Amino acid sequence: MHIQSQRSALAGLALAGLAAAGALAPTAAAAEEPKRGGVLKFYHRDSPASASIHEESTYSTNAPFMAIFNNLVMYKQDEPQNTLDSIVPDLATNWAWSDDKTRLTFKLREGVKWHDGKPFTAKDVKCTWDMLQGKAKDSFRKNPREAWYGNVKEVAVKGDFEVAFQLSRPQPALLALLASGYTPVYPCHVSTRDMRVKPVGTGPFKFVEFKANESIKLVRNPDYWKKGRPYLDGVEFTIIPNRSTRVLGFIAGRFDITFPIDITVPVLKDVQAQVPNAICKLVPMNVSTNLIVNREVAPFDNADIRRAMALAIDRKAFVDILSEGKNDVGGAMLPPPEGVWGMPPEYLRTVAGYSPDVGKSRAEARAIMEKLGYGPDKRLKVKVSTRNIDIYRDPAVILIDQLKTIYIDGELEVIETSNWHAKVSRKDYSVGLNLTGSAVDDPDQNFYENYACSSERNFTQYCNKELETLFDKQSMETDQKKRKEMVWEIDKKLQEDVARPIIFHGRQATCWHPYVKGYTAMVNSSYNGYRFEDVWLDK
Amino acid sequence: MGAYLVRRSFLMILTLFGISVIIFVLLRLVPGNIVDILFDAAGMVNPREKLKIERELGLDRPLPVQYLTWISGLAQGDFGYSYVSEKPALEEIGPRIPVTAKLAVLALVVSVLLGVPLGVVSAVRQNTPTDYVLRVLSLSGLSIPAFWLGLLILMACVAWFGAIPIYTEPPASLWDELLLLSVPAAAVGFRSSALIMRLTRSSMLEVLRQDYIRTARAKGAAPRSVNYEHAFANAILPVVTVIGIEAAFLIGGLIVTETVFNIPGVARYLVESIRWRDYPIVQNLVMLIAVVVVVVNFAVDLLYVVLDPRIKYSG
Amino acid sequence: MHGADYEAELTRAGAGIRGAGGHFRHLVRRYPLGAAGAVIVTLLVFAAIFADVIAGFDPTSTDATRTLARPGAAHLLGTDFMGRDLFARIVHGARISLAVGIGSTALGCFFGVVIGLASGYLGGWVDLLVQRLIDILQALPLLVLALVMAAALGPSLENTIVAIAIPLIPSVARVIRSNTLTLRELPFVESAKTVGMSELRIVLRHILPNTMAPLIVLATAQLGAAILTEASLSFLGLGIPEPHPSWGRMLSESAAEYVRTAPWLVLFPGLAISLAVFGTNLLGDAVRDMLDPRQRGG
Repeated sequence: MHIQSQRSALAGLALAGLAAAGALAPTAAAAEEPKRGGVLKFYHRDSPASASIHEESTYSTNAPFMAIFNNLVMYKQDEPQNTLDSIVPDLATNWAWSDDKTRLTFKLREGVKWHDGKPFTAKDVKCTWDMLQGKAKDSFRKNPREAWYGNVKEVAVKGDFEVAFQLSRPQPALLALLASGYTPVYPCHVSTRDMRVKPVGTGPFKFVEFKANESIKLVRNPDYWKKGRPYLDGVEFTIIPNRSTRVLGFIAGRFDITFPIDITVPVLKDVQAQVPNAICKLVPMNVSTNLIVNREVAPFDNADIRRAMALAIDRKAFVDILSEGKNDVGGAMLPPPEGVWGMPPEYLRTVAGYSPDVGKSRAEARAIMEKLGYGPDKRLKVKVSTRNIDIYRDPAVILIDQLKTIYIDGELEVIETSNWHAKVSRKDYSVGLNLTGSAVDDPDQNFYENYACSSERNFTQYCNKELETLFDKQSMETDQKKRKEMVWEIDKKLQEDVARPIIFHGRQATCWHPYVKGYTAMVNSSYNGYRFEDVWLDK
Repeated sequence: MGAYLVRRSFLMILTLFGISVIIFVLLRLVPGNIVDILFDAAGMVNPREKLKIERELGLDRPLPVQYLTWISGLAQGDFGYSYVSEKPALEEIGPRIPVTAKLAVLALVVSVLLGVPLGVVSAVRQNTPTDYVLRVLSLSGLSIPAFWLGLLILMACVAWFGAIPIYTEPPASLWDELLLLSVPAAAVGFRSSALIMRLTRSSMLEVLRQDYIRTARAKGAAPRSVNYEHAFANAILPVVTVIGIEAAFLIGGLIVTETVFNIPGVARYLVESIRWRDYPIVQNLVMLIAVVVVVVNFAVDLLYVVLDPRIKYSG
Repeated sequence: MHGADYEAELTRAGAGIRGAGGHFRHLVRRYPLGAAGAVIVTLLVFAAIFADVIAGFDPTSTDATRTLARPGAAHLLGTDFMGRDLFARIVHGARISLAVGIGSTALGCFFGVVIGLASGYLGGWVDLLVQRLIDILQALPLLVLALVMAAALGPSLENTIVAIAIPLIPSVARVIRSNTLTLRELPFVESAKTVGMSELRIVLRHILPNTMAPLIVLATAQLGAAILTEASLSFLGLGIPEPHPSWGRMLSESAAEYVRTAPWLVLFPGLAISLAVFGTNLLGDAVRDMLDPRQRGG
């Protein structure tokens, strides 16, 4: 049986005396000669809103459409862990920073053609970023990652095959954003509407059709610039929103591979039992489940009560119940070893509220509550809001149960999923349970998006100007080791300030049949590993 | 008869008009519109962009204007376009109709083939063990949630045959398609056969007690011929009505079954479109279903006139 | 077979002169299926009323140390993945299912009766309007209407009840209306009018009681349907949310994840739903046979 969590594999290898970096190397045996042909069949968990990656914020779009495109640079597709060191050339053949680290210049690949035959040039790169920054005439309907490029002053073209990103201040992590599956280069000559409906790229696969609620089909691009790739003749996704049906479909052999990271821990056990030779990788989704408390609403404007709530959380119980112990406990950044920036275990133990002795923490919490006038006979009643999806509802039920131990009686308020973000954006809640996903495992994205005073997604209204200068400082730091230590310090402060108590980081699995070769499940991002050019079928 | 037809047609149009108003209003009462859903995945709402999309889709206009645009479009055969896929609504709905139609007809055939004979037997053998067993069986069919029955069937197929009868790509031939659809059709048909069986049974019972049946018996006609020929011919009439009622009942059953068996039909599409708040699709689909239900009911009424000469419709 | 018919005819004739106990025994003998249904429904009501007493555990209290426990001495029906006692949840779920069944039926019947009476008795433009409204609601499939309603109202117990009740209104209104039309022409209504009884009193005193029989038939048939509709809504993600232990949600959620690894999580809620619906249907059939003279003969 090949089923193993990436993490236990790591633990085993660490015991064997290997360095962690070695353990993250590709697992596929190199000896096998890839075979050409065949269509890779996925099921898809839902119908993506559109095919335009730049306009969407879910990997429901990335997974089927990333293979149509190329980026300037990308995360090495057979390296499970995305880091600044695993970034490789894509449409850019190389890149260079100016001495003051404010100008990033790319040399572009020549002779690359869009799927409709038009040549790819530097103009396309400029068009893409002009649209992302809202400078172009034909704009995106939605532009969810405009904030990623807040530091980019200008994208300058020099000839047909050189572009330079001019920054306001040094930001080494810009490369991490450019390497994401979220950052393909779009053609100038295709309208944004067409990109939503029938996208054109330069990538290894060409778009064939997207039937909403039915299927998505890609076919091999015979003129792909990378010689000999892709191996597959095509990739197909059958959209099956019902979870039981799609898992049964995989078990019955109707699909070669499940939708990425779609298999929950309980279902994984079932799949293992039914398809013993299936290869399953249980990996972090880089999505944290967290407690959000509105610090503007009484009585939660009192920092002590927020602290008591954070102390009442029994993280291990959450992890045991929801994932049979598989999920990870950590701070804002994804915990190691898969996460690059998370606080290491020994550091995490020093953070207030992360003590393994929950009984003691809760006694402390009760003492705080008693001082505030609450007690067994005077309990605090509060609505706990969450979204009407099981991955939100289930932890909320546990949270309410745990808050009972500190004289807080929570009543679950389930919010229709379409209203959830609008509601928390309006700060129209007092206590909530939320999920926060990170597209790339990089502190810049996470900190600015969720903890900066002015961010639209700072739902708890946590605002610490002092800490914000530290955000900038770590962002500009080029020495990775120093940056890491700064990030840990920030993360610790965020947890101790009860900015948005992180309960756990979730894990789910991808499973495939053993004849699927060359597929790598990324371990610290759900968005970046769907180029499929190295995948082949041993049939 | 002519006047009756005119009157009925007028009422049909009135009904459809009412439905169009109700579904239009109901949809606007559902919290959130397509734009909220589109933004939902982004985990944020950008008011400026939201307004822009609403303007693009015409959602910023007053509701009466939106309604009139839709209805006048419908009258000219313009069904609008899907907000999600940005394709003409007809292009999205069209290919899904035959799939659901085939499934519905198959299910109806199953339910009639199962329901009518069992109902007749149950009535003829009233209060015998056969009757009890049949009634308990049909009732248990009605007592299992449709999705649960469907899932059980799928699991059984995987466990016993290692194959799964779900739609993943268009079947190669009509025969293949019917074969594939026969499993979900059996699931839906089994459930609705209970309804038909119950109705057949009670209308049979009623007819069996009529004077002319007693007369036939008294005249010494063989019980079998009395039960099956005389009585059945008269009992079938109310059963025809159920098929009319069934039309609406079936669609409800189809929503769940199409979801479980992943059939790309209109019923599942309707649920998905409600989730997306894809107004043009939901509105037009509901109208389509309503037209089918209304027309089927009309046809059943006409059939009544043909089958039963005693009924006369006055203008 | 015909002999049995006559026997039944005879026993019915004698039914009136027996004592209450004999009457009960007689009913059980004449409607064995109905009696079985009555037992099931009684159990359901009993469980719903005394849920707090018989449950033994708090249905919402989680326990990380005893998740997915098999059925046994400690937990009669086992525990779910959050360590919640399944027996407690099923027993409390009876409350939810009854609330949905009775709540939506009562609500639907109430409005159906008011509309039906008004339409049938008053006639004229009220009748015309009501008839069109009924036509309209009947052309929309029940589940579609419930779906849109559930989405419009948002997920909660009360809203689910309303969403299921509204599609019921037209069928009740239709039956009550046609009944009222017949009753209106009967002599005793005429005479009530002549002695100067107010319209409202006539309707409440004379017409309403006489429409009770078909109403009860419809209502009992609806109970089970309402429970099933809630289950379907739950499956489609629009049913009653946590923390209420709804059988429909328990079944539809466990069906996806635990059917093989913890089958009791699927088996017991499924059984509970089916048994409840089965019981109310059996009872409904018997009630119909008893109250609907045309069906008599068994």
